[in-house]
Amino acid sequence: MKEEKVQKDLFEENIKKIKPKDIEKALKEFISKINFDYAIFLNSCVRCGLCADSCHYYLTFKDLKSIPSYKLNLVISVFKKYLSFIGKKASRWVNAIELDSETIKEWIDSLFGRCSLCGRCALNCTMGINIPYLIRIARGALAKIGLVPPGLQSTVDTALEKGNNMGILEEDWLETVEWLEEELKQETNDSKARLPVDQKGVKYLYAINPREAMFFPMSILAVGKIFYAAGESWTFSSKNFDVTNYGLYSGDDEAASIMSKRLVDSLKNLRCETLVLSECGHGYNSNRWEAPEWLSKKYDFEVKSILQVIGEYIKNRKIILDPSRNQKIVTLHDPCNLVRFGGIIEEQRYILRNSVTNFVEMEPNREKNYCCGGGRGQLAMTRFAERRLKVGKIKAEQIKKTGAEIVATPCHNCIDQLNELNKYYKLGVEIKTICEIVADALILK
Amino acid sequence: MEIYFKYGIIISPFISFISLLYLLFRKFSFGKKSFYSTPRGSKVKGILYAFGKGMLPWEKESVKNHLISYFAGIFYHLGIFSAFLYLLSLIFNLNDPNFLFFLIRISLIAGILSGIGLFLKRVFLKNLRLLSCPDDFFSNLIVDSFLVFSLLDSFRVKIRIFYFLLSMFLFIYIPFGKIKHCFFFFLSRISFGIFFGRRGVLPRKNFE
Repeated sequence: MKEEKVQKDLFEENIKKIKPKDIEKALKEFISKINFDYAIFLNSCVRCGLCADSCHYYLTFKDLKSIPSYKLNLVISVFKKYLSFIGKKASRWVNAIELDSETIKEWIDSLFGRCSLCGRCALNCTMGINIPYLIRIARGALAKIGLVPPGLQSTVDTALEKGNNMGILEEDWLETVEWLEEELKQETNDSKARLPVDQKGVKYLYAINPREAMFFPMSILAVGKIFYAAGESWTFSSKNFDVTNYGLYSGDDEAASIMSKRLVDSLKNLRCETLVLSECGHGYNSNRWEAPEWLSKKYDFEVKSILQVIGEYIKNRKIILDPSRNQKIVTLHDPCNLVRFGGIIEEQRYILRNSVTNFVEMEPNREKNYCCGGGRGQLAMTRFAERRLKVGKIKAEQIKKTGAEIVATPCHNCIDQLNELNKYYKLGVEIKTICEIVADALILK
Repeated sequence: MEIYFKYGIIISPFISFISLLYLLFRKFSFGKKSFYSTPRGSKVKGILYAFGKGMLPWEKESVKNHLISYFAGIFYHLGIFSAFLYLLSLIFNLNDPNFLFFLIRISLIAGILSGIGLFLKRVFLKNLRLLSCPDDFFSNLIVDSFLVFSLLDSFRVKIRIFYFLLSMFLFIYIPFGKIKHCFFFFLSRISFGIFFGRRGVLPRKNFE
């Protein structure tokens, strides 16, 4: 806690000490990230304000600063000031503003602290502006001058330095796998059951969220059990096993591409056919959609979510499930990165319908679902924790209305936020991954 | 005298269009967005969604929850198109087809009422007012005035010179203010459609 305070104070100091040279650097980075599509978006906002009700921050606080259009216009104003004729000549007329220390403070507070880049506003924008992607380029400009809030930046730094965002040492990871393998042997009653590491030439390379190894090892075991039941050819990597990529959150494309490349290199070294990603919303968005753009290359291999793999297993009867083993009422939380930005929408529903007897949808759901509030770095940025818990009220109420006993979600970030909301709003529910639910319903031959 | 103004009316939209094309051309200098990732859905279906189902009120809660604003917006834009149609009929000396003129007048009235309504909404709703810049108010007012002048002229009120001057000013102003969204709207929706379409989000890709 004390360390956090020191970090926070240092961060405040850094904000105060911004030099013109830093601003120039941030501006250069900001402009360099604008492409044709973004430039079109930056010219399209009509400030109708209709996006307000789509944002969980606005619905909670009802203030100007939480309106997506306000946040977007913090970015547009800077764009206009430097890149539009009218913005340069008649700034006040179009609210064009300079990127100075005041604007930067506002960017930090609004673009990091009042937005989880969930994309709900983009779907609701009458002009179709992809607001979160524009906010992300502004975050990237702040990243360039070291002004990413400390908790988030340290997660990126740890991943870059240690190879995974939790700083798990290779020997600890291997020890965890070994221990889980023993558990798998017991559960399957098969001494040959394996959790393979660094197996070359297998079909799937499976990447996990390091939080699983650290805090939720049972979700790793669940996947191991599913692969075992399907008789799959797969492996973990001993070195590069981290599916997460907090560069997506901080806006730092350079860091993001380093992290993405590690998984690609692992897959190549192990000569695997497909990269399978654990239940991690942003991990899926990063590695499936963004990484090829960061690395500027088309992948010659497939990238799949574990949900797609399990869905296929069920469809092709490679695994047999007994839904009666899961009789509690289960609802599903749709992670923004996986669903709204990832397109994995129906797979988890198909899986749950085959794994539980009583599945109820939240309203709204699928791509229209509300963010839990923990996404895009919110969980890592302790300075905004109070807001994060407050905006989670919408999700808590959605859950309450379903009457569910279990909330399933295919994202470890969401799990952490939902666990906090569970305590904070006294929901009295269990939070589980989809794989854990499938593993419970699994009939081993 | 009026003939010179007519030429002005013909030239000013061209100037406007060329300026918009220039703006578009400048946007190309930022470079094309890369698409290295393998698509899961279809760009074309995404674009069709963006201009079709995606525009329907029940597809967006921003609209579903604000139906009055939604319909005000629809009538406002309908009024604007009618005003352009009326202006065209004057430029090309088209005879008065009474029925068409009746429809144009009706949509102009609806457009004016909607435009004023949206202006008042921007003035009186605190958050919306604070969100706005002077151009937002001005753009609304100038378009409202254009609709009012079109309506008055259609009733033979003698304001034609002022009406033509206002129209020319409106055309010239388009690339400078928010009215340029009449052009960028289409490009923005296309980008939206491509993004969510290729990811299989909109329209939603089924699994079973």
